[in-house]
Amino acid sequence: MSSHVRPAPGTIRALQTALTAEHAAVYGYGVAGAYLTGSAQATAATSDWLAHQEARDHLEAVLRSLGAQPAAAAVAYQLPAPVRNPSEAVALAVVLEERITTAYLGLVALSNDSIRDYGALQVRASALRAAAWRGGTVAFPGMTSVALARPRKQS
Amino acid sequence: MAAKPTRRVVLAAAAMLPLAAVSGCDGPDVLAAPPSPAPDVAVLRGAIAAEQLMITRYTTVLHQAGAAAGSGGSLAGALQPLLAEHRAHLAQLRSRLIVPAGSKASPATPHERPPAPVPSGASASVAFLRTAEQDAATTMLERLHGASSSLAQLFASIGASEATHVPVLDAAAAQVAR
Repeated sequence: MSSHVRPAPGTIRALQTALTAEHAAVYGYGVAGAYLTGSAQATAATSDWLAHQEARDHLEAVLRSLGAQPAAAAVAYQLPAPVRNPSEAVALAVVLEERITTAYLGLVALSNDSIRDYGALQVRASALRAAAWRGGTVAFPGMTSVALARPRKQS
Repeated sequence: MAAKPTRRVVLAAAAMLPLAAVSGCDGPDVLAAPPSPAPDVAVLRGAIAAEQLMITRYTTVLHQAGAAAGSGGSLAGALQPLLAEHRAHLAQLRSRLIVPAGSKASPATPHERPPAPVPSGASASVAFLRTAEQDAATTMLERLHGASSSLAQLFASIGASEATHVPVLDAAAAQVAR
């Protein structure tokens, strides 16, 4: 991703959206990991937490290279559901990964090939993590029902 | 598939009739050579052909598993959901294929060589599917460049889905090996 090319419209916004999702994931895995201590899943939670930190750092670097100020992390995030036990911690991890997958599909929609490739690799990585936490696969990771039902344009 | 006029193509042709009738001298030359399909059409047809091939492979392996005694039931239980997802991929890809009526045929890129046959035996066939899923996921990413935004998102999502099939097949292989 070049540091001297003016980004196409929507690029910064999509990168900031992905970054915001990564900030939330780093926070969320911190919460989830606390309930998975001592279990075999704790290792996975730690690994995934580190992966999200790495992705966050990468996105921040890309945004800076494009002349944008990376979005800052919030002090705390509203969790989608209460987390009080390992089962709820796993459910949180699934939601976090699904949201991350959708956010990275926003990068895939961009026309810049290198950003698109990075987005696709992250879509795959988050889909793999989500499947591992969920214990099952889905046909269209990250795709919303609206996107799957959208009206088709004439080619 | 291209040779058979689908309901969608017929509807597209009907929708274009008024435009052709009023185009006159200033509009597009309705007698000119038919337009070439957009670049998305060729890559979409390639993706559709790949999904059809994958479905054939799964169906073959499931048929073999059904015929075999022993681990066939558990293997089928692992493979059926993956097959269902491939069928969903195919349906979604087909829904994106809208070819303007009268456009030149643009078949999917033909296979350079015939696809490898599915090996017999549960262990070998599961390993075969695993390799096929890995290849499919990689190929799907190669389709991203030049694709429209919405199609690129679909390709990325389907490629990710296929990547998640690999660990499932690893678990199935371990089950078969017991």
